[in-house]
Amino acid sequence: MGMEWYIVRRVAWAAIVTFIIVSVTWGLMAAAPNPEVQKAATQAAMDGEDPAAAADLARQRAQLDRPLHERFMDYVVGVYTLNWGWSSTRNQPVTQALIESLHYTVQYSVPWTILTVLIGPLVGLYSAANQYSWKDHAATGFAFFGYAIPNFFFGIILLLLFGVQLRWIPIVYNTDVAVFSVENAIQLSVPIFVLVTGSIGAIMRVSRNESAEYTNADFVKTAKAKGVSTYRIYFRHVLRPTMVPLSTTIVGYLLALFTGSSLLVEVVFGIPGLGRTLYDAVIAQDTSLVLGSVLFFTFVATIGNLIQDMVYTVLDPRISFEDR
Amino acid sequence: MSDPFGRRGDDKNSTIDRRRWLQAVGVAGAAGMAGCTGGDGTDTETTTETTEGNALGTETATPSGEQDLPEVGGTYRTVSSSPAETLNPLYNTENGAGNLIGYALDMGYTFKPGNEVMPQLYDLTTEDGGKTWTGTVRENLQYSDPYGQVTAEDFVYQVQELHQADWASTADSSAWPSEVTIEQTGELEFQITLPSANLLYPQTYDPLLYPIPKDLMQPYVEEQDDAGLQEDQELLNLEFTGNLGAYTLEEWNRSSGQTYSRNEDYYLQEATDQFALFENAPYFESLENSVVQEQASRLGALETGETDAAAVPPERVQEFDNLENVDVYLIPQPYNEVCVYNMRENGWNAGPGNLFREKKFRQGLGCAVDKQTLVEGVFRGYANVEYTWQPRWSRWYPSDADMMEFGTGDLYGSEPAQSRIEEAISNVDHEYSYDSNGNLLNPEGDQCTITLYHSAGQNTERSMAEFIGQEFEDNAGIAVEVNAIQGAQFSQEYWQQEVPENADDLEWSNGSYNAGPRDVATSANAWDMTVVFGLNTYPLNPLAGEVFFQKDSFYNPYGYYPSWDAKDLFEQANNAESPEELEEIFGEIFVNIAEDQPMAMLAFPSGRTGYSSDMVGPAENFFSGWNFPGWYREE
Repeated sequence: MGMEWYIVRRVAWAAIVTFIIVSVTWGLMAAAPNPEVQKAATQAAMDGEDPAAAADLARQRAQLDRPLHERFMDYVVGVYTLNWGWSSTRNQPVTQALIESLHYTVQYSVPWTILTVLIGPLVGLYSAANQYSWKDHAATGFAFFGYAIPNFFFGIILLLLFGVQLRWIPIVYNTDVAVFSVENAIQLSVPIFVLVTGSIGAIMRVSRNESAEYTNADFVKTAKAKGVSTYRIYFRHVLRPTMVPLSTTIVGYLLALFTGSSLLVEVVFGIPGLGRTLYDAVIAQDTSLVLGSVLFFTFVATIGNLIQDMVYTVLDPRISFEDR
Repeated sequence: MSDPFGRRGDDKNSTIDRRRWLQAVGVAGAAGMAGCTGGDGTDTETTTETTEGNALGTETATPSGEQDLPEVGGTYRTVSSSPAETLNPLYNTENGAGNLIGYALDMGYTFKPGNEVMPQLYDLTTEDGGKTWTGTVRENLQYSDPYGQVTAEDFVYQVQELHQADWASTADSSAWPSEVTIEQTGELEFQITLPSANLLYPQTYDPLLYPIPKDLMQPYVEEQDDAGLQEDQELLNLEFTGNLGAYTLEEWNRSSGQTYSRNEDYYLQEATDQFALFENAPYFESLENSVVQEQASRLGALETGETDAAAVPPERVQEFDNLENVDVYLIPQPYNEVCVYNMRENGWNAGPGNLFREKKFRQGLGCAVDKQTLVEGVFRGYANVEYTWQPRWSRWYPSDADMMEFGTGDLYGSEPAQSRIEEAISNVDHEYSYDSNGNLLNPEGDQCTITLYHSAGQNTERSMAEFIGQEFEDNAGIAVEVNAIQGAQFSQEYWQQEVPENADDLEWSNGSYNAGPRDVATSANAWDMTVVFGLNTYPLNPLAGEVFFQKDSFYNPYGYYPSWDAKDLFEQANNAESPEELEEIFGEIFVNIAEDQPMAMLAFPSGRTGYSSDMVGPAENFFSGWNFPGWYREE
């Protein structure tokens, strides 16, 4: 019991939350007018064809002519039998669409996440250790620059510089290269750089302020008095307590970036990842694919929260879920 | 760069229906047309470059006789601005995807320079003035295994069991109403019988079909399984195409693009009578299309040579044309820019009555806008002036002597505008008048102020609307309030009418785009003028544009009642027995349209595509791309 029971309950709760969120999304999608139908009618009209007939045909193609309850029941049954349906905008099964997209997203999101989590707190710690010196200002300036400049704009500038002017990186993203290859590393370097600079700002500032608080704490003074080395003091006695509040920021923040910011970078660099897939699906009202993506992100978010709670107990032994 | 997602490009038809991309004619080669290579932007340069001179392509030299064939090799690379939703030929309705299908699968026929029909899979001929059309299928057409040879039965089955069936929502359904019959008359011959003769039937694109094996369709037909047919893997991945296209689809990565390989047995290699270079076509070992959604990236790829073709926005045409490795081609297209007047009851909100209903008033407004300045200033010269519902290069365009060219020469300026408007207001029951400053006053004595809607985020359209507003104010004395609106919202709330409850009692009620006579059927919101929509002028087959000029057709959102006998003239055109007769009737129709000014007909913007300068094949005419399999890279 104890911890295990807590985890089981949290996972079960995650399933309920997911169902509610996805049902609400389904309702919103069903309530919104379908742009494909509208587009078909408008285009028919522009070409002097019968717009009403074109709209009817588009509705039939999208299977919107079936009753609402039938469509919802089909969908609920599909969710629980892992049959997430057919993506009408990509004409392939939703699961396949998600897996294909995830393949490309992971290639940049993993290095991006690792680099952000590593570099952010370290730059913050470095700033705190050199508080109010030029090094602190330089690190802060760098963090704020990355935070302030919009990713898509920064991406285009770097693409024009390194792609068009210097021709060091390709403009058109190549999906044929091997994942672990120099070509792939080269074509992903700029998108990852843009994302990392965009996301370390907040983490760096929080860790700088938290670290600054602990550099003068009693236990740090004691460690110094005992003759503990500076590196050990910073990494073991300052960084570790700093990471407790940061773990919330890191997990939450990065999950949000995963769904948001990556879309813009994917568009600029032509990476066929999850962000673009979800965005295109929402715009074209590809209900099955939107719901599949929502299911996926909801799952990631709820499990991410659970992991975050687990991390608390590792970082701070005073926190325990044993009696929950 | 602003938000790349919320914005509609100036090439406003980024996803469009089949008719539209068929207008681009040479399907595959038209990759540079709107939609496939994407494009948008605003304008800066002022140079006049029209596409009228050789729009029909009759002056373009085509190789003939014996000549050295180009070497086969390399890759043709292109970019598209959005991913294809489907490559299923039976269900695709989009321009970009149509081009992608076209690389691997030809359609029945196409058009080549001079507006000549070029038979691809079949030749359509008529011997009774256009009532019965005989399709003769080529002998050397093969599907992939196990489907064998393409026969007339495949086409007949497709039409009868899919397009004319109620259960299937194929893209071609509207082209095959039940009154049109098709039957097989031989292994390689079918016959289409129309309810009434139509000499321009091939130009309607209605009889244009993809070859689909009967055996592939049959199981779905028996089950009446529409969804299954849409999702069929062989159709989606074009696995059955045999020797029916210049290339064979190798891979379709849904978000990033397609890869094709050369089809060594391409059937058109035997059609050297059509184009000598077909002999060993195609001349690229492979073809790649990449989805690049961001315009700056597409243009960067064109500049660095990572793509061989991309649409270029007007303000960058000069810059790209000056690059050593890029040539920009200006390609005529059939969509016009019009300023539509609302002649329904809720139009003309500047005073009582509706002055737009007066022909003289519309003519006056026609005199108020300088079309040449509009073309040079707003469209940076990459457009042609429009006077009637046809581009000047069309074979159906009447002789200049007959045409009233409003907005040019003597028919431009405040005097011709105001004199016509004065004549119009003297005809109405309300007391409109001009003051000493040349302002048009309503019966209350206030200057007439009307609204003009344009699509939000469309820079060219906004500039056009502002220019029109300025010209109306200066020359007609009417103040114009220019408003931005989302296209979809305009369509729903302003363009379409609410169907009246007593629709059955009305003289006509034809759906929301013409819900009834203009005095009773109106949209939810009042509006005066709009430039939101451009319309198709059908230069190859103007008969298709008939609906725009009939008061009771299913498309008359603006409430236009022609002052000429449109019904009779189009009827005559429909029944014409020779091209000469058609020419004469169309001449009369377009002279009437120019004179009646159903809307302000302003300009024909050109398509602008940048190609690698070593590419041999693209041409600046309406038919560019018809011979795409014969394109090659110069050594």
